[in-house]
Amino acid sequence: MIAEDLALLREGLVALLRENEVDVVAQVKDGPALLQAIAGHRPDLAIVDVRLPPTFSDEGLRAAIEARRRQPELGVLVLSQYVETAYANELIGENTGGIGYLLKERIGDVRAFLDALQRVAAGGTVLDRQVVTELLAARDGPRDALSSLTGREREVLELMAEGRSNTAIAESLFVTPGAVEKHITSIFAKLDLAACHDDHRRVLAVLLYLRVAH
Amino acid sequence: MPTLAAGLSVGEYIRSVMFRLAALIAVLLSAIWALDGQGYFWPAWAWLGLGVPLMLDRTASWAWRHPPGAVRRVACVWALVSVAAVILVLTWLLTWLLAGVQTFWPAWALLGLGTAGSAYSLFALHDRVLVAHGRRALRARVEALTRARREAVDAQAAELHRIERDLHDGAQARLVALTMQLGRAELRVEREPDLRLLIHDAQREAHRAIAELRDLARGIVPPLLADRGLLAAVESLAARYGLGTSIRSDMRRRLAPAVERAAYFVIAEALTNTAKHASAAHSWVQLSDEPGALVVVVGDDGRGGADPEGSGLAGLRARVEALDGSLRVLSPAGEGTVVEMGIPCV
Repeated sequence: MIAEDLALLREGLVALLRENEVDVVAQVKDGPALLQAIAGHRPDLAIVDVRLPPTFSDEGLRAAIEARRRQPELGVLVLSQYVETAYANELIGENTGGIGYLLKERIGDVRAFLDALQRVAAGGTVLDRQVVTELLAARDGPRDALSSLTGREREVLELMAEGRSNTAIAESLFVTPGAVEKHITSIFAKLDLAACHDDHRRVLAVLLYLRVAH
Repeated sequence: MPTLAAGLSVGEYIRSVMFRLAALIAVLLSAIWALDGQGYFWPAWAWLGLGVPLMLDRTASWAWRHPPGAVRRVACVWALVSVAAVILVLTWLLTWLLAGVQTFWPAWALLGLGTAGSAYSLFALHDRVLVAHGRRALRARVEALTRARREAVDAQAAELHRIERDLHDGAQARLVALTMQLGRAELRVEREPDLRLLIHDAQREAHRAIAELRDLARGIVPPLLADRGLLAAVESLAARYGLGTSIRSDMRRRLAPAVERAAYFVIAEALTNTAKHASAAHSWVQLSDEPGALVVVVGDDGRGGADPEGSGLAGLRARVEALDGSLRVLSPAGEGTVVEMGIPCV
């Protein structure tokens, strides 16, 4: 199920998904059509552009939140050309999973994108690494525990927010899974968080830390 | 002015006594004429003589009511002219009634008086008339220019918004579509590492272009400002700086895009300065939607000493003044910095 007003992107996305054995049951161009189509098709996942007609502001975000309210088991992946942490916070709200917020250009990394789709459909949480970067930037201060993170640890933290497994993080940073494991242990120790190995819980723990401290 | 028991001022008392005295003399002379065997009605001339001071008194007090200066001088001249004209006309009337004079002999004198009075008025008031005309023209011009500038600023805001939309729906979307296609291509050549690397590089370039376009679009119209308005955008901005800025606002509505943009960039610049130079412990932003104006105050308790004419602040001032607003920077050394901005808006 796809809600995107620009034909170029909608069709590109449909072609990409179909090639990779994802069944696209409906394509719509605005928020109300999205809500209608969801009721009719009951898909596993909706991919929604933040900016949709008629207002071209955050119509898609509001439609996604509403769709989720009507159908709590629906996975919602919101795509945008820019990242706003305020939108990420709203989207996650009270939800505990099945939520994703990614920059549109992440689709280009097809494997990672498909992987993110699967995780959101399965009830996981996927946040764009840019969200983490911005949250980190917002909290930059000499008194902050975050400033004690090394550059590499920050990278790991950002990829963790995308809900990736240790193996996936290791692949994208060209290091061994063992090294990633070490970084993660170090990050959790520095931030004083209880270590956990569930990818999804990990995202929430990190996010909660960033938001609460914020 | 001293007053008498009856509540009249001394001047008014003397005036009323004189009026009664004049009336008494007129009646007396008429009685003498009647007792003297009538004939030529000579008391009419006495009436005229008695009337002149009364007329002068009335017209002078009328003229004196005008504001001092050229206007009062002109009024005095016209008071004299009119008294003289009345004397001339009444004299002619008496010569006609009593002596049977047929020609209207005061005609030329009246014409002369009128011309002299008009000439004097024109001489005394010409600059005032011209100035009033000039002032009216100037006011109309200022109104026209203010309106035209407002329209230009609004048109510019709309145009910027359109450019941002075009970037979003045009170049940015095409680049995203390009990365999608490159991604699909990459999957198909998994067995050819050279080709894969090439595609990977192309994708990285596309990502850079997208990021640059995104920064450009953000500089034109920050997305949150366009979508959610000033308060949401300022909250996000403050969060990004991580200064723990406290925000107070009574904004209940969206303002004109040009006004929101100007306020946003002023706050952004002020917070940037706070983050970079102030070493402040506290900073705050206050947005007040007052009747007819948006008032924004951004302050910190840092080291102060900011140069109000520095290039950043000067640019902001130009932006605010283009909207008829004003910008004030108070930054005494050691006492923090306060930037105050007001922009008129309906």
